[in-house]
Amino acid sequence: MEITLPLFGTASTTSDSTGLSVTGLVTLLNAATPWQLELPASGIFGLTGPSGSGKSTLLAALAGQRHCRGNITFANTVWQRGRRALVTHKRTLSLGFQDSRLFAGQSVADNLALARRYSRRPLSEEECGRLLKAFGIEALLHQPVELLSGGEAQRVAVLRQLYNNAPLQLFDEPLSAVDRAQVLRRLLPTLRDFWARYPALVIWTSHDFDEIQLLAQRCLWMDSANLSAPLPLPEIAQRLNSHGVGDSCRSRIEARVEALNNGLLTLDLGGISIFADRVTGHYRKGDTAAFLLEAGDISLSVEKPGLSSILNCLPVTLVAKQKLTDGRIRLQLAAADQVFYADISRLSCERLELREGTTYFAQFKAGSLAGL
Amino acid sequence: MSIAAADWQALWLTLKLAGLTTLLLFIIGVPLAWKLSQWQSRWRHGIEVLITLPLVLPPTVLGFYLLLLFSPNYAPGQWLSQLFDGPLVFSFTGLVFASVIYSLPFMVQPLLAAFNANGQRLTQAAAVLGIPPWAALLKVLLPASRAAIVSACALTFAHTLGEFGVVLMIGGSIPGETQVVSIALYQHVEAMEYGAAHRLALMLMGITTVLLLAARWLGHSLAPRGSNNEQAKPVMGVLG
Repeated sequence: MEITLPLFGTASTTSDSTGLSVTGLVTLLNAATPWQLELPASGIFGLTGPSGSGKSTLLAALAGQRHCRGNITFANTVWQRGRRALVTHKRTLSLGFQDSRLFAGQSVADNLALARRYSRRPLSEEECGRLLKAFGIEALLHQPVELLSGGEAQRVAVLRQLYNNAPLQLFDEPLSAVDRAQVLRRLLPTLRDFWARYPALVIWTSHDFDEIQLLAQRCLWMDSANLSAPLPLPEIAQRLNSHGVGDSCRSRIEARVEALNNGLLTLDLGGISIFADRVTGHYRKGDTAAFLLEAGDISLSVEKPGLSSILNCLPVTLVAKQKLTDGRIRLQLAAADQVFYADISRLSCERLELREGTTYFAQFKAGSLAGL
Repeated sequence: MSIAAADWQALWLTLKLAGLTTLLLFIIGVPLAWKLSQWQSRWRHGIEVLITLPLVLPPTVLGFYLLLLFSPNYAPGQWLSQLFDGPLVFSFTGLVFASVIYSLPFMVQPLLAAFNANGQRLTQAAAVLGIPPWAALLKVLLPASRAAIVSACALTFAHTLGEFGVVLMIGGSIPGETQVVSIALYQHVEAMEYGAAHRLALMLMGITTVLLLAARWLGHSLAPRGSNNEQAKPVMGVLG
């Protein structure tokens, strides 16, 4: 139910924060731990944490769809002060639900057109066409939304939100039903490129940490209704691991694009060249791009290996060792200000006599780097 | 078989009454059902009971109170007489007025069921895209509730066609003004003109059957086919 209070019929401008500022926000869920949040006017932030921790409640409260009290300002506009709240449709935001909530009784095209019509920053025809193609929706345009599959409906819902192009865009597990390969190879690169062209403050909620790692640089963590400030991704990865969420462990590697030769991308990671294969995005020299590296794809050597078909060899410092439940050892490695994880067997660990603080050489194939 | 001019007049008057009532009730019923579906107050139940009353009350009870309401002996009746430039009793305007109250539940109930089923979800989805509430009603909720709207209009029209008790109480039987088919039929039976009664009865039955079949077909073709979007089933089930 929308909260409608007459005092805030029109937005008042009294805050100095151009981004999102949340202080002392209390819902039924977090009576004991009021939420605080400061985010800039643009940028992509992840939001993750165990199920039932209150992520959706936070998004709904920001959108003015949950009874709450506290203070919310965005772009110098007060959205909520105490119990007085600005109605949802006057907040310059959009919110995507897990269940798509497409407008029934209308076609996909009608849904998109309506979102664009009420946009405060409408996109050009050309941009809309580009998105439509990238999302693979062209063939579905004239279908009634009732006939879409779950994954198709989610794609249309995300596209509808992009057509709306709000300054604050909240997403609540918007691609959970979409085929993973399609998300990684097609949708996430499109989203990343779109927000590079049309900056907005984006909060991307997902249980799929890969999604967050590829889109965002920092992530909010919610656990038993406790909301963290934006944290670096390795810290979030650690928290996810300690909660036993997901078996595989992929780390984010951020590198500057140096060249593209014969389908092989040359990247600069703190002065060392590394190579990425099978990357679908269109990178330009100088771009900073994020890649994922699976912990199981890395091998470690004590001495610098000689020539090998494995293209990537990075000098790394061993930061920490952690025993996994299956007997393997998870190594926390640091290279050029970046932290990532490698899983090796206990036998290897004993043979190599690995010690924290020592420098080793991490090797992985060019194809192990999954990028957009 | 031939139908007397007076009977044609009654038929035309009946269709005019039903059409006008349906139109007025659509204009009143949509915002009313929408506001009710959004309203979280306990008063809501009281209002819903009030709207449902004509469904269960004998039409004569309603007719009796409307007669009192329209009576020029009391203040409301005087005010209404001034407003409509003449007394409402024994007039077509009075008949429309009474029909709107009498058929109100037939319009509001199906709409309310549809709005309760998906109103909250859809208006929220509209609001988070910056669509204001009235636009959400017109551009999101109404297209999503097309099947229910067809049902509601068909039920209202059909129900008004068969109205008898209320018309008898406040309309009487003035040919061309308040003599609708049900009244004309009653008078034919009283005068033992069974042939004329048959012709009128059959005609009304034919019209309503065709109308309900058409509404059912239209409601069915407008109802959502998939399963991702939960929607209220068309309320034509009420009809059999």
